[in-house]
Amino acid sequence: MNKTSWLTKIILVVVLMLFIGLPFLLLVLSSISFGWQWPNILPESFSFRSWEYVLTGSSDTWRAVGFSLLIAVTVTAVNILLAVPAAKSLVRNQLRAKWLFEAIIFAPIVIPPFVAVMGIHLTFLRLGLTETVLGVVLAHLSPTLPYMVRAVVISYNTLSVDWEDQARMLGAGTISRFYHVVLPHIMPGIAAGASLSILISLSQYLITFIIGSGQVVTLPILLFPFISGGDPAIASAYSLLFAGIAILTLLGMDAALKKYYQKKKTATGKA
Amino acid sequence: MKKYSLIAPGMLVLAMAACSGETESGSSVAAGNLLTGDWDEISEAATGQEVNMYMWGGNDNINRYLDEWVAPRLKEQHGVDLNRVPVNDSQDIINQLVDEKSVGKEDGSMDIIWINGENFKAAKDNELLWGDFSGQLPNFNDYIDQEAPDIAADFGEPVNGLEAPWGKAQFVFVHDENRSENPPKSMEELAQWVEENPGQFTYPALPDFTGSAFIRQVLYETTGGYEQYQQPAAEIEDLEERFEPMWQYLNSIEPFLWREGETYPESLAKQDQLFASGEIGMTMSYDPALAASEVLKGRFPDSTRTFVLDGGTLANTHFLSIPFNSVDKAGAMVTINELMSPEAQTAKLSPENWGDLTALDFEKLSSEQQQAMNDVDLGEATLPFEELENHQLPELSADYIEIIEKGWMENVAKE
Repeated sequence: MNKTSWLTKIILVVVLMLFIGLPFLLLVLSSISFGWQWPNILPESFSFRSWEYVLTGSSDTWRAVGFSLLIAVTVTAVNILLAVPAAKSLVRNQLRAKWLFEAIIFAPIVIPPFVAVMGIHLTFLRLGLTETVLGVVLAHLSPTLPYMVRAVVISYNTLSVDWEDQARMLGAGTISRFYHVVLPHIMPGIAAGASLSILISLSQYLITFIIGSGQVVTLPILLFPFISGGDPAIASAYSLLFAGIAILTLLGMDAALKKYYQKKKTATGKA
Repeated sequence: MKKYSLIAPGMLVLAMAACSGETESGSSVAAGNLLTGDWDEISEAATGQEVNMYMWGGNDNINRYLDEWVAPRLKEQHGVDLNRVPVNDSQDIINQLVDEKSVGKEDGSMDIIWINGENFKAAKDNELLWGDFSGQLPNFNDYIDQEAPDIAADFGEPVNGLEAPWGKAQFVFVHDENRSENPPKSMEELAQWVEENPGQFTYPALPDFTGSAFIRQVLYETTGGYEQYQQPAAEIEDLEERFEPMWQYLNSIEPFLWREGETYPESLAKQDQLFASGEIGMTMSYDPALAASEVLKGRFPDSTRTFVLDGGTLANTHFLSIPFNSVDKAGAMVTINELMSPEAQTAKLSPENWGDLTALDFEKLSSEQQQAMNDVDLGEATLPFEELENHQLPELSADYIEIIEKGWMENVAKE
């Protein structure tokens, strides 16, 4: 039995390396290769031209990273504020046309974002919301909110009303009921939704470009022309930077979540 | 609780919308004065303006030329801040301007846009461009041959001063000297070369820009020259019959193409990648100095060379324009004028910066300025100036391009 579990582990590691590790390695090589001719398996020599361009000087990469993160985090915070009450209503309330509300909330997943963004652009132009970070944040809500709601709905489904009733009988008010009973239970759903929300917001190109009108420069705005324009070295360097930032953000969220539960444990004296 | 849960998100949206009241300052000199006024006044009005230049941002050399060569000089000499905005597809900026026009937005963020061909025609037809400004620019008047057909018209569309020429491009073939010593000099010889080197040639699938240009090149050579197509396509009745030799040519070389012509690279970028990795022996470019700059970057082999056909290759001009709702029009004019100066054009010519051919008329430059341009090392892969100049053919207008792209799908790609 021990043998088979070892075997599965080895197979898993190999598969993981093949599908996740190897493409990353290729990206790293392609970002620093100088003259990579067939049939050489490895580049003949290396150059840091692409990294030099991406990380220093006039490319404004760090500013774009800052804007990307600011937008992704704001979008996610707004998503949480919108999704928690929405999920509660969808699960708890006996709404008559529940399917309609669900359809509206989940529509952005089904309808191509390009169709929606053209209409949003005209409306935002009239409202003066284009070219602003706020406008971009609002536009990013449409492709991200459905995932957030979906995740929180699943958490709410497993939260019995009885627990809240019990807290009420013990004298807990609305706020402390939410904070001490509901929030710890739906936290995994919020965390899952938030990860998706951050990743989706970080990777938006078209919505950001159209609503931001080129005045809100995020990482994808810098990255996309290089991918389609065919400079593999710089496109690889930007892609690695992008992946690194996404992974760091997720790790940061994970750490914050762990800290939250730790605090909860010590606060309730269970530790 | 039930009610609150619905009010909270609503309040939030309202609060956020309320903080967004952002206004932009209007321009000090009325737009009309800029089109008739004195250049000194215009450059005075430009001081302190921030100019947003929307242009394709997929080449680090071009980006650096603007950010590190042009921008500091503009700031120092004219007090104008140049902000380059990277664009993936010029079509996106045209769509955006159409939207802005339809809601009457007068304080647009685009001050300069880099366009030509179809995008210029779309912008002109939708009245997205500001006006007849190029005649106001001193460098346009001093150094540009305004009568030249490729300056007065953009892919057959009269320019009318709505845009100012920035540079020129010409179609060249790219090959590796070590692998093919004598490159073909005509389409007939190319067909021979393709047959002798099966799997070594291909072209990007249409509607790729360069792939489409290659087909026009075939059209000129197989149907008896470009002169017959200098009129609107609708006026030629037997157009389909005239195109027939072109489809025959393309179908006859197809079995000898890369992957036996079953598929074509989806873009020039993909085709260049095939050439860079040595999988095919020839590629093409509408930028005669691109190969040299790819050699400098170590992507193409040192033995890369370019060549043109004896009968000439397509050439076109690319332009800079000012949208109707630009806020800093004076700054935009000063910037465009500066980009057309002999110094900026000479720097642009160098493959280390960009390697783009000049839009200026060589004859109008002083002997020192001519010398400076001749001294630019174009790299071994680039053909000499004169050889390029002597082999230029005019472009076709956009109506032909549409017909050709559709015809290629029906006659060549379907099989």
